[in-house]
Amino acid sequence: MKVTLAMKPGPRSFIPIEAESIVPKNFLAGTDLAVWRGNRELRLDEVFSVSVEGDADRPEDVEVVLSGDDTFRLKRVGEYMDGGKITVLGDIGMHCGNFMSGGTIEIHGNADGWLGREMTGGTILCRGDVADYCASGYRGGRKGMKGGSVEVFGRAGDFLAESIAGGTVTVHGDAGDMAGAEMHGGTLIVHGDCRRPAANMKTGSCYVYGTAQGMLPTFAKNGTVQHEGRTLIHFTGDIANRGKGNLFVKGYKYLD
Amino acid sequence: MIVKDAVCPFCGCLCDDIEVEVEGNRVVAVANACELGTTKFMCEERLKGPILRDGDGWKEITYDEAIRYAADTLLSAERPLLYGWSGTHGEAQCVGVHMAELIRGVIDNTSSVCHGPSILAIQEVGHPGCTLGVVKNRADLVIYWGSNPIDAHPRHLSRYTRYADGFFLENAFRDRKVIVVDIRRTQTANIADEFVQIKPGGDYAVLSALRAIVQGKTETIPRTVAGVTREQLVRVANLCKGAKFGAVYFGVGLTMTRGKYKNIRNAIELVSELSRHTKFTISAMRGHYNVYGSNEVNTWMTGYPFGIDFSRGIAFYNPGETTAVDILARKECDAALIVGSDPAAHFPRRCLEHLADIPVIQIDPYPNATTAFCNVQIPVAVTGIDAVGTAYRMDGVPIRTRRVLSTDYPSDEEVLLRMYTLMQGAR
Ligand code: SF4
Repeated sequence: MKVTLAMKPGPRSFIPIEAESIVPKNFLAGTDLAVWRGNRELRLDEVFSVSVEGDADRPEDVEVVLSGDDTFRLKRVGEYMDGGKITVLGDIGMHCGNFMSGGTIEIHGNADGWLGREMTGGTILCRGDVADYCASGYRGGRKGMKGGSVEVFGRAGDFLAESIAGGTVTVHGDAGDMAGAEMHGGTLIVHGDCRRPAANMKTGSCYVYGTAQGMLPTFAKNGTVQHEGRTLIHFTGDIANRGKGNLFVKGYKYLD
Repeated sequence: MIVKDAVCPFCGCLCDDIEVEVEGNRVVAVANACELGTTKFMCEERLKGPILRDGDGWKEITYDEAIRYAADTLLSAERPLLYGWSGTHGEAQCVGVHMAELIRGVIDNTSSVCHGPSILAIQEVGHPGCTLGVVKNRADLVIYWGSNPIDAHPRHLSRYTRYADGFFLENAFRDRKVIVVDIRRTQTANIADEFVQIKPGGDYAVLSALRAIVQGKTETIPRTVAGVTREQLVRVANLCKGAKFGAVYFGVGLTMTRGKYKNIRNAIELVSELSRHTKFTISAMRGHYNVYGSNEVNTWMTGYPFGIDFSRGIAFYNPGETTAVDILARKECDAALIVGSDPAAHFPRRCLEHLADIPVIQIDPYPNATTAFCNVQIPVAVTGIDAVGTAYRMDGVPIRTRRVLSTDYPSDEEVLLRMYTLMQGAR
């Protein structure tokens, strides 16, 4: 079954639209769903032109395609998703794929903050850039992403994979400040540069194929390793946190 | 007439030993307050009554008209923002939270641009804090990190630290050491026993290095960390470990610089590490006299200290998303109520551009920078001068402010209650 949701053009507005109802399994029972624009509850068809092709008995056979100029306003799309596919043809708003446990979300544009927050399984592909807190935890929470994979083909903002406890995050471009902060499991790979990676890490593995700027002084150097055709410098830490995590970097610069 | 033990409604020290001399219902002299507090008590440049924007000018309107305008505007909004709250009393803040829930708006206070990161860090690792009195009487080591009390909290030093007597200290001035950590030599640094100058953005690295040194892992630390030599870091770590009672006070120099709440988390974790060796505490130098109160009121009423979004009828909290600067910069609200703060004086330009585009109501006694952005301003009595109410000191101690003048201005609480009553009628 393919569900196409094309956002209806309307007066220019930036009020966010919370759309946690947009999850493949919900469409097995039809399209009588609601979303919220600020404090107003709206029917799905007040915001989108909805069309459905074919039918399905299980979420795995449902694909939802989102399009329109304003998809960046949509928050919480794919929250608690456990199967099927969501394709976003443009940008997507905050909290896409929150708590996701299965299925695939593919974003052709950029994703706003908290993409894949606290996800436990499934796959997220973002063809553009992601903002802050991709694959991270919630405020005050001890665990971020616990499983699944997130792959970003552009750049990432700050606090990428904060408190990651499992799963894999790969960013093909640069990442911002504090990538992998409070990491205690899982794998983070940044192909470009980033700042202060793996701050306060306990366990897990963080790879920076570019330069770790502002490298923290509390990682102990252990020589070099070969990793997928690259020579990387291996550190353990964060010793300030009695951590035994692994940080591998191509190059590093202290703020000395 | 001299009013004794008045409470200064300016900074988070909330000094409660002020003497105010009143003649003919005017404040003519203030004793014990610092210059900031004295100026607040003596200020007479108040708005006379509510004003409504009228073309390029202003038109005077009645309180009833202004309150009706405010209620109607906020009721019709899809995502109203209710911001400020740190410059008013707790009773008014309570009404604000009820109002945000009723109209399903977002309520945020000024801590989202000052010590919000401190609260985020506390939510992660807890808060080993204590009252100011405990520090005054016991601390033999005080660290000011990213804060400059001589300018921002002038009586903090004289009432509680550098120049204060301590019950358990024989000669407080001699026995109490003061360390200042900052990116530049401030006035406070000039009266410190040890000044640690950090390169901008280097606080986190220095805190991590200190944690490692306190654990005895000095050999891993590079020769300099963010401009600070390893020798000085070892000296500071030894001063801390050798203290009987240490207290860290941090300011926006730590909360609002690169890393934000991670800096504070690191500082708290350093204090936890030091507490394996001696007694150490850490507290925030809160700015507005009742910003701590706005966090208290919000927390006991909603479970969250600031940045609370009631759009869906339940409280949702996510600083960075539900906080005023983020909402305004992203144009995600369609009306605003500003109470007891002056965002136009502090917020980034992008936020002000949106404030200029939406209806804004301000409740504030004085004309200020935000006046230029509002459609209606409603003047009120000043808490601690012509209104009474509860405020929370920077260490979480609630103090009842006193009235030193009688005027006809309604209090923030009265104006908000009248607005709230109209809204209840409409809902
Ligand atoms: S230190 Fe703060 S509370 Fe005390 S008098 Fe000065 S401004 Fe007022």
